Amino acid sequence: MSKSARARLVHWSTPTVSLVFGVVYLVAAWASGRPWLGVAMLAVMLAFGGGVLLAARRSETVRGLLDRRDERIVGIDLRAAAASGLAIILAVIGGAVVELARGHSGAPYTWLAAIGGVVYLAAVVVQRARS
Amino acid sequence: MELVVTGNTVRDLRVDRGLSQAQLAEAMQVSRQTINSIEVGRYTPSLGLAIALARYFGTSVEEMFHVQER
Repeated sequence: MSKSARARLVHWSTPTVSLVFGVVYLVAAWASGRPWLGVAMLAVMLAFGGGVLLAARRSETVRGLLDRRDERIVGIDLRAAAASGLAIILAVIGGAVVELARGHSGAPYTWLAAIGGVVYLAAVVVQRARS
Repeated sequence: MELVVTGNTVRDLRVDRGLSQAQLAEAMQVSRQTINSIEVGRYTPSLGLAIALARYFGTSVEEMFHVQER
């Protein structure tokens, strides 16, 4: 596959994932007897995917985040993802502490923290082997 | 030994050839913002992009990027 064909494919991955998750939300909400909630969630995901595609026409940064050809923007994306992950980890730890203080088991926060920890360790092992 | 990039000649080389930032960005397959960030020293490119820039301008990476030992 050529570099530009690959970039085109990657460019459409975020809108495609938005569409797929929107349909998954729709099916899940429909299965629980709340079809209009599912329709609303699908609409939100379609709006997000469409909004990203429209923004990519005007913004070099959004375009770079979508096609991932620009190493600087890929680096920005990685650091932003790390910051986002850190915020989620802090929220999960906070949730676990609050739940434990209330006399509960800490679930599901403790499970989420465990998943995060295991994935981090696995990523370190894989990246260490690859670099 | 740690080397720090203290400056570069990308802007001079680009202007000498009458290129816009957008044209150089297109040739390097990066964004115009990235070329600007490199020129002003806000972003140090990867070895791959540095070599691509040096080859494009017919020079070497060491001539293009000035470094200083820290």
